[in-house]
Amino acid sequence: MELAKRKEFQNTYQLITAFAGEFGNNSFDHNLGNWRDEPGVFFVYDSEKNFFVVADRGQGVRQTLRDIRPDLPNDAEAIRVAFTEIISGRSPEHRGNGLKFVRRAVKGNSTFRLFFYSGRGEYQIVESKDFDGLGEKDYKGTIAILFFS
Amino acid sequence: MRIELKKFGEMLISRPAGREAYLAAKAYLLPKTKNEEIIIDFSGVEVLTPSWADEFITKLQEDFPGKVSFLNTENPSVKATLETLAELLKTGK
Repeated sequence: MELAKRKEFQNTYQLITAFAGEFGNNSFDHNLGNWRDEPGVFFVYDSEKNFFVVADRGQGVRQTLRDIRPDLPNDAEAIRVAFTEIISGRSPEHRGNGLKFVRRAVKGNSTFRLFFYSGRGEYQIVESKDFDGLGEKDYKGTIAILFFS
Repeated sequence: MRIELKKFGEMLISRPAGREAYLAAKAYLLPKTKNEEIIIDFSGVEVLTPSWADEFITKLQEDFPGKVSFLNTENPSVKATLETLAELLKTGK
């Protein structure tokens, strides 16, 4: 692990890796056998600009929650619920804690900045504060971008 | 008994891997009686996610209620994961 060798990330590389792992887990767990077109996860990291991207061409968050929360009015609300409530699109399976873990840990360290997109929904955590809203672009699937410096 | 989690790997990340680890532990490692104390030792674990932990640690706590404790939890991802699981337990989900 490249990050582990860098002094400035000695106490955070474990969390950074765990975040990427959880986003990747979600991509596969919620889209296996049901990919929109391209199966799998896109992952890239930049060790100079200190960020990673995990993205998929899956159903998107709102669609994965449709059976248990058909009332969600838009993509932004769906993402907010996914990050703040203990809920899973694969209910009644015992799941639903990954994004809560990410939110809690990112908010707990102001060097982390998270940008998450699905459909027209956008969710950000910057300087430990979160924000959700609707954007103009409609992302087919999900995109998670984490800056860690 | 003490379970050294690093024997399942240093990077404990995916849910399927956690599920498989617990099934293997049930078959070959875990005590057959529910009375024995079980200590989970996290030394040597580099990364732990709630997805993996939910399939192993949560299931262990359900199968051995009140008998599971933890050792060497300083790793930030271990600490954060256990806090997340504890919160889940509190809300009953």
